Amino acid sequence: MEMWKKPWGYKEGVAIGAGLVCIGILLQGTTGYIQWNNIATPINKVIGVAYLLSLCGMHLLRKRVYLFRWLSGLSSSITALGWVAVLTLFMAMTRQEPPGTKPIDTWGLSQFISAWYFVLSYWWLTTALGLALLNGLFPFKWRRIPFVLNHLGLLIVMICATLGSADMLRLRMMTRTGQAEWRATDEKGLLYELPLAIELKHFTIDEYPPKLMLIDNETGHTLPEKQPVHLLIEKKGNVGKLMDWEIEIIEDIPQAGAFFTEDSVRYTRFDSMGATHALYVKARNLRTKAMAEGWVSCGSFAFPHKAQKLDEQVSLVMPAKEPRRFASFVEYYTENGLRDTATIEVNKPLEIEGWKVYQLSYDEEKGKWSDVSTFELVNDPWLPLVYTGIGLMLTGALGMFIFSQQHRKEKANGME
Amino acid sequence: MEWSDLIYFALPAVLFWSMGAYGAWKEKPFTWTVGLTWVGLIIFGCFIGGMWCSLERPPMRTMGETRLWYSFFLPLAGVITYMRWRYKWILTFSTLLSAVFLCINIFRPEIHNKTLMPALQSPWFAPHVIVYMFAYAMLGAATVLAVYLLWIKKNEIENREMELSDNLVYVGVSFMTFGLLTGALWAKEAWGHYWAWDPKETWAAVTWFCYLVYIHLRIAQPQKPKISLYILLLAFLLLQMCWWGINYLPSAQGSSVHTYSLS
Repeated sequence: MEMWKKPWGYKEGVAIGAGLVCIGILLQGTTGYIQWNNIATPINKVIGVAYLLSLCGMHLLRKRVYLFRWLSGLSSSITALGWVAVLTLFMAMTRQEPPGTKPIDTWGLSQFISAWYFVLSYWWLTTALGLALLNGLFPFKWRRIPFVLNHLGLLIVMICATLGSADMLRLRMMTRTGQAEWRATDEKGLLYELPLAIELKHFTIDEYPPKLMLIDNETGHTLPEKQPVHLLIEKKGNVGKLMDWEIEIIEDIPQAGAFFTEDSVRYTRFDSMGATHALYVKARNLRTKAMAEGWVSCGSFAFPHKAQKLDEQVSLVMPAKEPRRFASFVEYYTENGLRDTATIEVNKPLEIEGWKVYQLSYDEEKGKWSDVSTFELVNDPWLPLVYTGIGLMLTGALGMFIFSQQHRKEKANGME
Repeated sequence: MEWSDLIYFALPAVLFWSMGAYGAWKEKPFTWTVGLTWVGLIIFGCFIGGMWCSLERPPMRTMGETRLWYSFFLPLAGVITYMRWRYKWILTFSTLLSAVFLCINIFRPEIHNKTLMPALQSPWFAPHVIVYMFAYAMLGAATVLAVYLLWIKKNEIENREMELSDNLVYVGVSFMTFGLLTGALWAKEAWGHYWAWDPKETWAAVTWFCYLVYIHLRIAQPQKPKISLYILLLAFLLLQMCWWGINYLPSAQGSSVHTYSLS
């Protein structure tokens, strides 16, 4: 079949995609990466309105201009999806520099989301999506509701997530116990003064109970190699097994301090900064009947860790305890006179007047004794729109699920 | 409940599923075949529930734990399809696939680990993973059907077979969309942004687009099923990359928040 003979099909779609990629590569070579930061409000809003108007215009002119009619059809959707899938696949296979940082190559491979050909192919997909939606929307039919929800939801998400990215602020704020902080920096180190202030009252890390593991005395590797075993110590009086060794916990001191004498070390209760976890254990080898006992501790920034040698081959160690919860207890104030206390945890951000405050990091050296807590503050004015789109898509997916059942029933009834 | 108890639940469950599959194959009474499969599901469900209780967290963190859900949802998807469509071979396929995943878990057990890092402690965690595993099971069943139609079946592909394929994909993709979007909402709560082009997200996008190609191609060319079935196979390969292949992908190491499953 000859190319560009109407009606256009997949060949033409593939060619259009290739054309867009070529244009994209040329633009990439001449103008470099797309600078998303340059389209902050009001430019993105103008672009958004102009784009929606042009979609409507293309829809109205579809009878006169064949390209516009073709763009809303299935062969355009399928080839656009194909091109987008292929380019996204390339992206998935190469290491990407995070958005906002400087890409390390010229041709877009290290930051696809700012590369012209990637964005052009998504632009084509979005246009095909918008035109197909307008086509399906008028004249309106109730049975097309799932179609409308799916397509409209995705259209809103794609447009708003892209155009809104320049308006999103992601700032870092470092707080110190007892000092109110209202300044934060962005990824380029630019300082912002915020309409809110946060004072860190206290930072804490809750930890899981300690674990015991065996290591090889010579190599230091955990045992057995590749699939090391461990014993979780949940309460005192625990008896457990690690390979051939039976381990009994004689004493468990969650807040311990080490006291050194000339040739030995012992642990006692120690409730101050830098306390470590210590266990007094008795171990018996079930095979060789060898016995050993002594203190084991994971250590802290103030105390070294302590292993117990069991025999010539293996030692018992306590790896650093795994965190269960990071939490910052804070008091916050806003310019509008709001004043309250809150707890900020991983997965539980605090919301203050359009800002979301996330627990980001702390002084890792001091661990749970850290007097510093770093927060990430995010302000995304386009979020309500994106969430509207996500909500429509969720409803659409539900509709697709129910509709496929109905479809199935109708067919089944038809066959009987 | 421990990993070592798995075999005592897996064997009876597979036995009941096999009896159900045999019954379906021999066209034994419907209530028997369906009943036997459900008994197997209840037995296996008890193991998952027991693991959930003894780990004191949802068993969804490691690859082995997600394979448990997959082994559970395959016969579930199979029996639901069977109840609606009465395909006599579907239970055999779902039982076989489920048994393969159970064997992996029995012969290569994962180490029992109770701890769950704070980033995973979220009300979104359970729905996100369960919905995805159900989607994977549906799309896995669609893949098996595609292999059967492309290479094993000698006669022409019938319309009702393609309708089954379409239905499996529709249900699978709608659940996959739920998984993707609940993931986005969770990411906003945990990491500050709903979509960060994390390698796992990028692979999920590629997979999702590929299934959308299938859906649109089926509408555009209903009379040419073979090309759509090849797309379905390709999509399932991409899904494997997204699910576990990414753990071995050099470009994803250290840059993905989703590669903890090997730790």
